[in-house]
Amino acid sequence: MERLKKAGRFLRSMKCAVILLVILAAACTAGSLIPQGQTAAYYAANYAESLAGAVLLFHLDDVFHCWWFVGLTIFLCVNLLACNVLRFPALRKRMKEGFTATKRIAEWDGVPAAVTAEEPEEIFKRLGFRNVTRGVMAVTRLTQTEDAAGAARSESVPTRYAVRHRIGVWGAWLCHLGMLVIIAGFGLGQMFQIQYSVYGVPGQTKPIGDTGYELRIDDFQVKLREDDTVEQYETVMTVTRAGENPAVAGAAGTGTGETGIPEAAGTAATVSVNHPVTIHGMKFYQNSTGWAANVQIYKGSELLQQGVICAGEYALVEDMEGLAVLLNAFYPDYVRGADGMPATASSELNNPGYLYTLYYNDRILGMNVLTEDEIITVEDYGIRFTDPQQYTLIQIKRDPFTPVAAAGGLLVMLSLVLAFYLPPEEVWAVQRSDGTWALAGRSRKAGAYFLEELAKYGGKVPAGSPPGDGDKLTE
Amino acid sequence: MDSSQFLAIENTLFTAVMVLYLASMVLYFIFFVMKNEKAAQIAGWVISAAFVLHTAALVVRGVGAGRLPLTNQYEFATSFAWGICLCFLVFVKKYHFRALGTFVTPVIFLLIGYAAMQSREVRELMPALRSNWLGIHVSTAIISYGAFGVSFAVSLMFLLKQGRENHDFWKKNIPDYDRLDIISYRAVSLGFLFLTFVIITGAIWAERAWGSYWSWDPKETWSLITWIIYALYLHLRLNKGWRGRRAAWFAVIGFVCVLFTYIGVNTFIPGIHSYA
Repeated sequence: MERLKKAGRFLRSMKCAVILLVILAAACTAGSLIPQGQTAAYYAANYAESLAGAVLLFHLDDVFHCWWFVGLTIFLCVNLLACNVLRFPALRKRMKEGFTATKRIAEWDGVPAAVTAEEPEEIFKRLGFRNVTRGVMAVTRLTQTEDAAGAARSESVPTRYAVRHRIGVWGAWLCHLGMLVIIAGFGLGQMFQIQYSVYGVPGQTKPIGDTGYELRIDDFQVKLREDDTVEQYETVMTVTRAGENPAVAGAAGTGTGETGIPEAAGTAATVSVNHPVTIHGMKFYQNSTGWAANVQIYKGSELLQQGVICAGEYALVEDMEGLAVLLNAFYPDYVRGADGMPATASSELNNPGYLYTLYYNDRILGMNVLTEDEIITVEDYGIRFTDPQQYTLIQIKRDPFTPVAAAGGLLVMLSLVLAFYLPPEEVWAVQRSDGTWALAGRSRKAGAYFLEELAKYGGKVPAGSPPGDGDKLTE
Repeated sequence: MDSSQFLAIENTLFTAVMVLYLASMVLYFIFFVMKNEKAAQIAGWVISAAFVLHTAALVVRGVGAGRLPLTNQYEFATSFAWGICLCFLVFVKKYHFRALGTFVTPVIFLLIGYAAMQSREVRELMPALRSNWLGIHVSTAIISYGAFGVSFAVSLMFLLKQGRENHDFWKKNIPDYDRLDIISYRAVSLGFLFLTFVIITGAIWAERAWGSYWSWDPKETWSLITWIIYALYLHLRLNKGWRGRRAAWFAVIGFVCVLFTYIGVNTFIPGIHSYA
């Protein structure tokens, strides 16, 4: 039982938080320096045997998703939560009862930041304190007698007190809460988000995973500037329920979604980089682009089949089982590089070149670059590529927890402003026996500089002036 | 005026800024080594002039490029140096602490030198960078890194002061340990607040541009590592009393991480931030 309590105490301690943060920082360093998600063969080829073994043993090939990294993050959350739960009553008490003249003046060591003959209320207002409380406190004042022995006499002295930015006590607490919300939002998002990629050329309709929706690509534009650089990628698309005719459904569309886009079946939208759209709760992003081409398969002079394939895709020859062609890459302005490797001289479609690999029953029959008028011949079959065009890749995502993480981020930003720039500040003044006022103040974060600022508004502490005028202030 | 004329002016201004930063660095060294107070006074004027010209250079480049000059290594390096200079001038004004220049100007000069080695060609923005978030994200990074640069310089002074406490020059020109410690802390606080803004605004932008607000991209990861280091600094300082020498070492290590996040990640680790 004692051990359990000890473990509990450790788990909610700052020492635990520090240890966890150090390990997480080290793990992040490893995760950024070691290439992630590679095969075992990659690590074996690029690292010493023992190091490659360690990478795989400790899951350093996938640090950010491995069990111990997730476990450490959960531990950190438990630590933050425990820390916040434990601190809550104390902070609430401090907020309610911690800022009073009697408490502050009683705890004061009696050293004034400044001494002034001016009414302190005016000084405090110039410092930005609005509500100044006037009060009276019992003071045990030491007076010098002829035999030099101090004689105590009790009297009531006027006091002034003001406080501001009390809400600042919550700064660190809210920051921890914000971090928890971010981690929770991110973790839940990783668990429950759906994410798909759909790519194709205008005219194609593709299913969006298992959502029951389809995406039809109506148009895709690569907008170029005069200097041939890309200004924007823009896809016009229509999202429909699977099996519905987009044209008909789009015409009948009614109602609006959260983005103002009609939400009925057959919703048309334009998506571009930095301008995602939300349809049916799914967010569509213009993610990437590449080249596609029309592949035509002939038997003799008869066109057997044709269709569009994107770079990286296969076309199977339906008439001859086992025969397939892979479009490896496309070069719009094909040239042979100095090293003999295929390359492109420009992004203009001056001399289209198609790098292909021909397979038969998983065996490579050949690999080469085909130009526009050339045909690959395999027995009676001819294969050629035509009509190169750029395809668009749309990423589709539904993550209901993104707003949660965003709220956490906002909370962290606000809490840090509270913690660093709006810490609670208190000022008080006690009237001295000669009628002047001893000014003092307290700011958790600004410390000495706050007192210096206070001193600037008040008068100098007279040389030889005993701290607090030799008073013992009591509640 | 066309953009090439603006860029020619920027080029001239940049060269002048480099010379002025170099001059201020030399003057601050003369002040420090030869105990020449007049040199420090002149250095203050020179670095102020450099800052004004540097601001003008950035504005002229922005006008010439037709966008914020914050999108490539050259532009960020020169803006980073500008950010440190801005924070330095603010801290000097607030804390009346001229000797800080001796430690800040070499950092500024190194960054300006690094900028000078980068391509100054103005390139059109790739689609992912064409966003209003660019200005918010990168300008907060400049303030953050600038403040961390100042905390680094102050912490170096703290560490070098040891053993020299009784030297007249150090007594007169370098604040006491408590003051150095709190100046460094305040710079770290400012930097930390803005680094948090950097990470969060970057996440918002990444969500819009790439469809994911956090992808463990090396730049993101190293920003997080830097954030953790400064978070440790703040926790240990406020709760465990890690002030003085230990806090100074933390601030130095933190700034090394800042530099690695900015230069090292781009140089050694490929990622989707490779244009930054």
